[in-house]
Order: sequence, then structure tokens, then C-alpha cells
Amino acid sequence: MDALIENKMDRRKFIQQTAAAASLTAVGGLTLPSFSTKRQKHITILHTNDTHSHVEPFEATHHKNANRGGVARRATLIENIRKENPNTLLLDAGDIFQGTPYFNYFGGELEFKLMSMLKYDLATLGNHDFDNSIEGFYKQLPNANFNFVSANYDFTNTVLYTHVKPYQIFIKDGLKIGIFGLGIQLEGLVHPKMYKETKYLDPIEISQDMSRILKEEHQCDLVICLSHLGYYYRRNPEYISDLNLAKATKNIDLIIGGHSHTFLPKPTIVKNLDNQNILVNQVGCYGLNLGRIDFYFDEEKNITTGGKTILV
Amino acid sequence: MPTTLKRIAIVFCLSILFISCKNEKYAVVKITAKTTAIDSTLASVNAITETIAPYKEKMINEINTIISYASKDIVRTDGRLESSLGNLLADLSYERSNPIFHKLTGKNIDFAMFNYGGIRAGINKGAVINRHAFELMPFENLYVVVELTGEKITELVHYLIKGNTAHPLSKHIRLTISDSDFDLKINNIPFDKNKSYYVLTTDYLQSGGDLMNFFKTPLKRYNLEYKMRDCIVDYFKSVDTLKSYLDGRFNRK
Repeated sequence: MDALIENKMDRRKFIQQTAAAASLTAVGGLTLPSFSTKRQKHITILHTNDTHSHVEPFEATHHKNANRGGVARRATLIENIRKENPNTLLLDAGDIFQGTPYFNYFGGELEFKLMSMLKYDLATLGNHDFDNSIEGFYKQLPNANFNFVSANYDFTNTVLYTHVKPYQIFIKDGLKIGIFGLGIQLEGLVHPKMYKETKYLDPIEISQDMSRILKEEHQCDLVICLSHLGYYYRRNPEYISDLNLAKATKNIDLIIGGHSHTFLPKPTIVKNLDNQNILVNQVGCYGLNLGRIDFYFDEEKNITTGGKTILV
Repeated sequence: MPTTLKRIAIVFCLSILFISCKNEKYAVVKITAKTTAIDSTLASVNAITETIAPYKEKMINEINTIISYASKDIVRTDGRLESSLGNLLADLSYERSNPIFHKLTGKNIDFAMFNYGGIRAGINKGAVINRHAFELMPFENLYVVVELTGEKITELVHYLIKGNTAHPLSKHIRLTISDSDFDLKINNIPFDKNKSYYVLTTDYLQSGGDLMNFFKTPLKRYNLEYKMRDCIVDYFKSVDTLKSYLDGRFNRK
């Protein structure tokens, strides 16, 4: 508990420092001769999903994934990308736990520690993150130097109350990036004694609220949904999924998915409720891949052609 | 620069910033995407490998800890409609689950049934280590007890006849099948289709896994909140030597 409070304090201090640094940079910018010169901004979003305790690469004898994956290698790739663009966010769409004995023996401690070393910025919860019960997840939180978000799990009567927020806003290069989390219906998937009094709320209704809060109230430049709903259920197309969510909502720029272990060679472009193109992406499972989406921004007054170019 | 001057300068700059940048709204003009495979072409970050190392060592020690011995190979393929491994799994499941069920309800389980496909590995003669239990049962299946009508038990038997497979059954069953008929005794008492029975299985099979649909709508369902793998490990630790035999509990005339 103490460690957790300390952790949160550090996080607050960190946010204050970041804010101070941001305003200094802004003041510094004034000394440049032409403040009004148009300047493009560039935000990189990196993401994983369903890593399932796959800390090490698969063994050379594995029938399908021989020599693939591994957190230490993922770290190299992330470091290189961060050097290339410091305005990078690293996200995970859930099911961090369960899949190798590392979880069975250490309860997720190592997974969270490594993700902290990789400087993950934010994650959401997958159904397997409840495998050691909601208390088991809570117990490991001090090892995570990043936050979890979930907008459609109501944790009011659980230990996670106040520890998992619906959304988080990041400021990178002066741009506001709002990210909210969505979890899958736990009933029938997870034993009730594991998720206790966690209440599942309708993902579409919640997303409509979230995108309004982030886009309109907080004026976010980018709205991202971290989802563990699953990409699409071909046999049950009416089930809520990332593709269905994308069509039924607006003001979301990107849905990063998980749960269905879907490997998309490139993001899917979906028309939302406003007939705008948005992206849905997912990169399989077990840390075999790292997803990357780059958003390039320009000042609205400089945009003459209107609309955005999606090169995927 | 004296502090006050500095302060004035900052306030001045900030107000310019505020005035001139207030309405500078940015919009997305271009999006690109790229998914990169994590493979051996990427170097490893040492700090990560070093953080993993002590956990790995502890895990390997733990996973290689000897928990029992097998006096012979115990496999799922040594019988026609039963197997030494299937019999062992069904019997140990019953042995450790019945006390939990009895405490919960005051009743006894009649028999246990699982699926052949759920046995994922055999046990070799010699030392049995924790890893074998993981290989045998890599899933997180939990035990459940269902109360089934005689009609559902008949469906269960027809499933076994049709499948013609060595699905694990506990020693309480004596089932002889032919193409058209069957003879079933449960705890040495002839099966009574007007009676209901308590059957131990897993949450996976109870929800219709392996098309065991007769489990899906029981009269009653009890969750034992005990994982099958934990039970296997607990049982292995409790006996010096694993013993299992074929006893003809499920056979064809």
C-alpha cells in the first residue's frame, strides 16, 4: 500500500515536472524569429496487446513462433523509435497476464516491472488480467509505473476503485491526446469470484460519453480508444467488437484492440457515425509484433486541401 | 537577469503565447502505420535480460522440482476405451474434489468424467516434476459438479458410445457397450433412469466444450472453485509413487 502511494506521488511529481518543462519549451519557442512559421507536429503511437506473460522469445523448437517475440528485443525497437521521435506514446490493450509459468509463479510482478522499464504510458485490462482475482491485479499495481484506464468497468465497490480511471490525457509537443479504455463483458468469461463486484457497462454508450468529454470538453487533438473487446466476431456479427464500435461512434481517431489475437498486417479503415475514416488496429499476441501509427498534424489554417491522407 | 525582470519577461512571453497561440488549432493531415515483427534481427536490451534472469532461475528451479515418481509410463493411449492416465486423472479429481463437494452439500459425487482431448501430455516413468503437471493440464479449468437427470446420463452414455473414445471416467463407473445397447453400473448399482446423479467435470466441458451438451442444462450446478491443475499438483505431492491401472471400467462387449 505504501509503495502504491509513493508510486502515485512520483507520478504526480512527474506530471508537474513535465508540465513545467512543456511551458519552458513554449517560452523558448518565442525567441525564434518566426513564431508563425507553420510547423508540422508528429505523434507516434506504439502498441501491443495480449502479450500473455511472454517475457522471453519462443523456444527454437516451437512449432509456430520459433525464436519470435521477447521483451528485451521489443525494448530495442521501442528505444530506437523514441530516439527518432520523442513524442511517442506506448500503449497496451490488455491480457498482460497468463500464458507462461512466469505468471503462475510470480503473479504478474515481472510483466509489470518490464513494462515499466519499457516506459509504457498506459494500458487497459483484459479478461485474463483478472485471473488472480481483482486483488491479485491490485497487488501488482505498485510494480507498474504506468496507469490503467477502463471507462466501462465500474470498479466502485472493488479494490480498484480510484486506481483505474476512465481515461487519461497526455500532452505531447503541445498536443492533447485523450485515451480511454474499454473492457469485455466478464460474465461467462471470468469466474465471478475473480472480478467480484466489477460492473460491465455498455461500450457504445460509454464511448459516446468518452469521445464527447475528450473531444469537446477537453479539446483533445487526438482521441484513442484502448479496447479489449475483440476485433470482430464473424459467427456472431452482432457482438460488440472494435469494428462495430468504430461504426457506432464518432470523434475517435484510433481504436487499438486486443482479445481476439487478431493479427492485422495493417490497420483497418472504418467509416464512423460521422462518415469519417478512422483506424482500428491489433497486432496479434504474445509480443510477436509491435504496432506503430504515426499522426502528422498541421495548423488548421495551413490546411488547404481539407481532410487527411491515410497511408496504410 | 534579476528575478523580478525574469518574472516580468516570462509573464510577457506567456501573454504573447496566450494571445497568439490561443486559437492555433492543429488537425491531423497524414497518418501512416507500420507493424514490426519482434525477432532475432533485433538486439536485446541487457537491462531487460538481467531483470528477467533471477526470475527465470527461480522459475526453472520451481518448475523442475520433483513432486512424485511414476513406476511406469502413464499415458492416454494404452487402452481401448480407457487409459492409465485417464483413469488416474479421473480418480484423483474425484478423490480430492468429493470432500469439497461433501462439505458444500452434505452429498457425495457419483462419478467424474472429462474429455480425452483435454489430456495434453503423458507422464514418463521416473521423476515427475511440476512442469509435467503444466504440460498435462495447461488450461485454467475449474471443477464443477452437475446434478444430471437419468435422461441426461443416458445422453452421456450415447455420447460415449458414438465417440468410441477413451474419455476419462472415474472408477465408480462400470460401462459395457455394444453397438445397440449398454450396461451401466454406478457404484455397483445398476443405473436408474428415474434417478438423478452428481457428476464431476470442468467448467469448460460443462459449458458445452467437446460437444458434451448433456452437461449444459443440469438440474443444478455447483462450482468447487478448485483448478484441475492445482488438484493434479496437490495429488502428485501427496503420493510417493503414482500408480494407475486399466480395470475395464469402460469396455466394449
